[in-house]
Amino acid sequence: MLLLILLFMWCVGEILVNYRVVKKKRLLFDDRFTKTICMAIASISSLAMALYLELLLSDNQLVTYLLPVLLGVFIGWRFGSLIKAPASLNGLYNGAMGGVMGMMLGAVLKNPALCNIPIDANSLIASNLFIITIFIAFSHSVVCFFIRYSMRG
Amino acid sequence: MEQSNLLFLLYADICLIIGFYMYIRKMRKLIGFHLGMNMSMVMGGMAALLFGIILITHMPFHFTYITLLSASIGGAVGACFGMLIDYQTFVTGLTNGLIVGLMAPMIGTVMEMQMLFIWFLHAFFIGSLGILFISIKRA
Repeated sequence: MLLLILLFMWCVGEILVNYRVVKKKRLLFDDRFTKTICMAIASISSLAMALYLELLLSDNQLVTYLLPVLLGVFIGWRFGSLIKAPASLNGLYNGAMGGVMGMMLGAVLKNPALCNIPIDANSLIASNLFIITIFIAFSHSVVCFFIRYSMRG
Repeated sequence: MEQSNLLFLLYADICLIIGFYMYIRKMRKLIGFHLGMNMSMVMGGMAALLFGIILITHMPFHFTYITLLSASIGGAVGACFGMLIDYQTFVTGLTNGLIVGLMAPMIGTVMEMQMLFIWFLHAFFIGSLGILFISIKRA
């Protein structure tokens, strides 16, 4: 649980840093660069956020179904509306997509019998969950690094 | 019989992807960035989908490692195809391959009549390769 909270804070910090960098340099972009950035950042960060929220919250039905999707839409909307209106539409769509996918992945990781996956021991479920969350945090930071690197040059 | 069929299909996919990569590498001066972006998205997503579904059908007891493997392979294929054109196509292909690769083994475990679905997926893959060929010829 502690590891999940640490990864969640890391994810939030990464998103805030990216938001500051994009906001500072938003006058330098052309249309195509805007579209690429919105797509990449909205989809992967809303997927990671929705996955961590789904794993961290308890089994309250309404919150675990609605909150990740709303959060994905919010991230896409914030990043898209920094620059131009069509980019906002693109970011909104990709954010909602990533939110739904992260919710599904979190539900399967919590209860593998939902997907007919033959894992039943509790320790196996826990190790499975940790490996996949660490991999997702790693890939999220790789994508964020590439986006920041592209803005420097 | 089915297991060897699956491995043969996986080998054929790897050969098709490498062959298409060589072809694109020869023709890359002709391809604009818009076609390049669509191409990297299609190839990364299809590679991740095929690898995830075929491997989870072949070995149903290793869900975790197959998820990691298919996400990495999808990201790598999308990045390789995008790297031929531009930096932004590289980022697009990498992200799309990662997302599709995380989802693919879940589809593979849920469905029934797996061989039918896999054959349908290969027909879809070859159809999208044909469409990419036609649009490269016209460009």
